[in-house]
Amino acid sequence: MKGPDVSWYLAVSALLFAIGALGVLIRRSPLIVLLSLEIMLNAANLALIGFARHLGDPSGQVFALAVMAVAASEVVVGLGLIVALNRARVALDVDYLSTLRG
Amino acid sequence: MIASAWVCLLAPLAAAALITLGGTWITRRQAGYLATLSVLVSFVAALIAFFKLLDESPDERSHTSTLWTWLTAGDFRVGLSILVDPLSIFMMLVVSGVGFLIVAYSIGYMDGEDEERRYFAYMALFVFSMLLLVQSGDLLILLAGWGLVGLCSYLLIGYHHERPQAVAAAKKAFIMNAFGDATMALALFLLIQRVGTLEYGAVFSAMDSIGGDWAITLIALGLLGGAVAKSAQIPLQTWLPDAMEGPTPVSALIHAATMVTAGVYMLVRLSPIFEQAPKIQDLAAGLGALTLLVAGLIALVQTDIKRVIAYSTMSQIGYMFVGAGLTTYPNAMFHLMTHAFFKALLFLGAGIAIHALVGEQDMRKMGGLARMLPKTYTAMIVGALALAAIPPFAGFFSKDPLLAATLDAGWYGQLLWAVGLIGTFLTGLYAFRMIFIVFGGEASPFVREHLHRPGHTLPALWMAWPVGALAVLSVVGGWIQFSPFWTPLSDFLDPVAPPGIEASGAEDAVTSVLAVALGLLGIGVAWWIYSARRAEVPRWAFGQRLLEHKFYFDEAYDYAFYRPAHYAALAAIRYVEGPLIGGSIAALSRGTRELSTRVTEAQTGLLRTYVLALGGGAALLALVFLAVKA
Repeated sequence: MKGPDVSWYLAVSALLFAIGALGVLIRRSPLIVLLSLEIMLNAANLALIGFARHLGDPSGQVFALAVMAVAASEVVVGLGLIVALNRARVALDVDYLSTLRG
Repeated sequence: MIASAWVCLLAPLAAAALITLGGTWITRRQAGYLATLSVLVSFVAALIAFFKLLDESPDERSHTSTLWTWLTAGDFRVGLSILVDPLSIFMMLVVSGVGFLIVAYSIGYMDGEDEERRYFAYMALFVFSMLLLVQSGDLLILLAGWGLVGLCSYLLIGYHHERPQAVAAAKKAFIMNAFGDATMALALFLLIQRVGTLEYGAVFSAMDSIGGDWAITLIALGLLGGAVAKSAQIPLQTWLPDAMEGPTPVSALIHAATMVTAGVYMLVRLSPIFEQAPKIQDLAAGLGALTLLVAGLIALVQTDIKRVIAYSTMSQIGYMFVGAGLTTYPNAMFHLMTHAFFKALLFLGAGIAIHALVGEQDMRKMGGLARMLPKTYTAMIVGALALAAIPPFAGFFSKDPLLAATLDAGWYGQLLWAVGLIGTFLTGLYAFRMIFIVFGGEASPFVREHLHRPGHTLPALWMAWPVGALAVLSVVGGWIQFSPFWTPLSDFLDPVAPPGIEASGAEDAVTSVLAVALGLLGIGVAWWIYSARRAEVPRWAFGQRLLEHKFYFDEAYDYAFYRPAHYAALAAIRYVEGPLIGGSIAALSRGTRELSTRVTEAQTGLLRTYVLALGGGAALLALVFLAVKA
């Protein structure tokens, strides 16, 4: 098998995940939060494919495809929400969207 | 014969169920007829069983019939069984016979009451309970009948549930009886542990092997507790006078003719057990003697006509306890029967007087009723003479042999004999004090104003004929036995309960002469004071107070049991309920509220904190898993 060892893929995946998580935590624009979420999902995809390659088992790739489909539909819903918020003239800041607080 | 015994048992239950389920489909009068008919069916069935039993030879007159197994626990099983033998047939005849007359009387007495159907359903249920008690083939069924009788007496004493005194009296009777039931149940537990069964035959045959054991004394003591409570003997006697709050026929049925005799029946039925514990038998006899004396004295100062008769019941049952305790069983049972006749007669006669005076029971307001109610007067005289054991009335034939037999039981028996003789003097005195006050002299203003002479209406006739029948029975009922010359009843009961003591002819004669003389003396004193008024009623303030307070039994129980319990409960409210139970619940709710305030602070509404918590938690878990695995 050619290419780097599975640990390299995992390291990149962990880095991507951390960047995504940090983005979700500290950015206030919903658009960027959504973007960061996508980064996290793709970090998971990378880990899945890395393991699939390492173990020679194609089911990891199948999972990655499923995650992509879910991510696509999630982006549709998320973007739809953001557009709706914008139309309602609500400030695009996640810290203001706290009406559901107990 | 077994079939007729079952009919005898179940007919009143069927009537009670029909009246209860029928509701307004049955008119009030029909409910009365139905109850009376069912008890008559019982009586006829008992008679049939009796004659079939007579056809058999004396040794074979014992039959058990089991319907099904009622209760099982390991090896221990109890069948729903009845026992038919001379003793139970005798009791069936007394209970259903006297019960029939009293229920029939109720048709007249209760006429026009609002809740007659309830009354008659209770009456039928009561007769069923009593029959279950006397027909039981097993100690547990006996206890079931025992409890049911207590329940019915509670229901009937509290029949006038709108009167607070009636409700209080009902509760008192129930609690006193429950106490007896409890000691009896404890005795049965001990018996199960020792013998492993509660079936009469098996228990009695096991008695020889465990005789002399301390447990047998405890068992007998527990059983005696039940008998004492049900038969209103000292120290559990205080419920009986209060129970006079019930309607008069109830007093006649429950508190004279049947229920209170259950204790005597049990002493005789379980005599093989009691004979293994002679100390307990002596205790029973001693309590009986004490009760007959104390009750006779209290009866002298009572002003309520029904209470006088109630105390006389306690006193007469005291005689039966003396007899059963000293093992002259046939005489105790014989006195039980004659007592049922004349006591029911006295109660029902008093009921007619009370009815004619629109419910007044205070003897001080009565007087001169002899001319207004001549037939009732005659009946009451017959009842009082039978009570005072004057020949040829029924009481003479039963009470005197009972007393004579006690002479055969050593110094203790002779002591009780003397007490019994004093009792006969008191009996004559209080019985005729009542007769002279109520019926003698001139009509009092109250009587002239309130008397309603019973006409020849249907209710009045229903009240009259049972009294007539009982008056006849109070005369001839004693003639079935005149010991030592003519003893069919003793012979009949002999296979079940052979007497341990017998009086000689001379003892019989001496006792009879003395008892009759003392009874006549009592009547004479009553006449001297209350009719001829040659002497004032003796005044002795201390004695009078003592008797009017019934020897302070109620007060003593109030101080000994009610008040400590009351104060303990108050203290428990104050020191346990308030700070401990109430306080802990308040602290619990306060703590929950404070905790929830803290938790709501974590709900910031900021997405980032949630995500942080989520991610942090996941990371923490991952670390923990790694650490555990490593």
